[in-house]
Amino acid sequence: MDLSTLPWDKIFVIVTILVAGPGIVIGITFPAIGQAIVALSGLKAISRQPEAGDKINSIVLLSLAMLESLAIYVLAVVLILVFANPMRTFILGN
Amino acid sequence: MKKINKKNISKILFLSLILAMALISFQLRKTQGIEPVSVADEISPQVIFTIGPIQVTSTVVNTWIMMALLTIGAYFLGRSLNIRPRMFQNAIEWLFEAIRGIITLYIGETKSSLFFPIVATFSIFIATSNLLGLIPGLSSPTIDINTPLAIALIVFISVPYFGIKTRGLWKYLKHYVQPIFIMLPIEIASEIARTFSLSFRLFGNIMGEEIIIAILFLISPFILPVPMMLFSIFTGVLQAYIFTLLSCVYIGGAVKAHTTS
Repeated sequence: MDLSTLPWDKIFVIVTILVAGPGIVIGITFPAIGQAIVALSGLKAISRQPEAGDKINSIVLLSLAMLESLAIYVLAVVLILVFANPMRTFILGN
Repeated sequence: MKKINKKNISKILFLSLILAMALISFQLRKTQGIEPVSVADEISPQVIFTIGPIQVTSTVVNTWIMMALLTIGAYFLGRSLNIRPRMFQNAIEWLFEAIRGIITLYIGETKSSLFFPIVATFSIFIATSNLLGLIPGLSSPTIDINTPLAIALIVFISVPYFGIKTRGLWKYLKHYVQPIFIMLPIEIASEIARTFSLSFRLFGNIMGEEIIIAILFLISPFILPVPMMLFSIFTGVLQAYIFTLLSCVYIGGAVKAHTTS
């Protein structure tokens, strides 16, 4: 079988889509679970001790931002894969 | 009775206006085949003109427009200050108090006026640049990776600057090896990594928002993007708040003396 006759550009696009879709799903799911845990424990802590609310609130926001950056990394990787893949010229030539 | 009628009439007018806009947009696309520009073209900055070897992109021009708006607004606000605050002055004073509160919480009460200008600049600049994309014809400077990276580099430089200024060179360098000298490469790596994390958080949030709006605009103009654009006001201000908070935490980590029990 001659490999050079295959439609490599179509295969490239299909593989990119097949990787990017499930990739963003997996990459969003686990940070979402982590954020849920943080929000839940923050809520529990505030309800147990409402006078410490301000301090707990800011710490919760901080850790939510930290967890969100993981999802943002996945988004950046997926966007690069879809729109500006650096390997495109390497695989397809020209 | 009359009031209810007026309300009902205005509601019916509003709904019919939206429906008419949707129908017009669909009809236009059906008859003329207007293809909206592709998502990648909408997002990426265009080169507007070149000065010698330097290419001036639309990001820079948008930043200039934003700077002009902020400067003119600040000039006219500063001219009409009262002892008894009016509408806008009240809002600005609230912002001032909020930023002062963040600084006292994370950096310390003693020298809050030293850090106030840079922290307030971060918050105002990022909030305005995130909200600039809502104006038709302009786009947020923060959807280009260079703007968040530049702001994060300012944080990266200002952390040792404030640390040396408040604690002295020797004490600041000592805190890299504070518990044990093995911590030195970890501290340096975390300083570099958090710069990238700061810039990518801001860039990814605004970029993702902007891409979702562009994709919804491809599906149906005029109606579907509107809730997402309303939501983008919230996320833009929230990202500005988080950036300010994190830069305060990083500066505070360098400025505060380690609690040596």
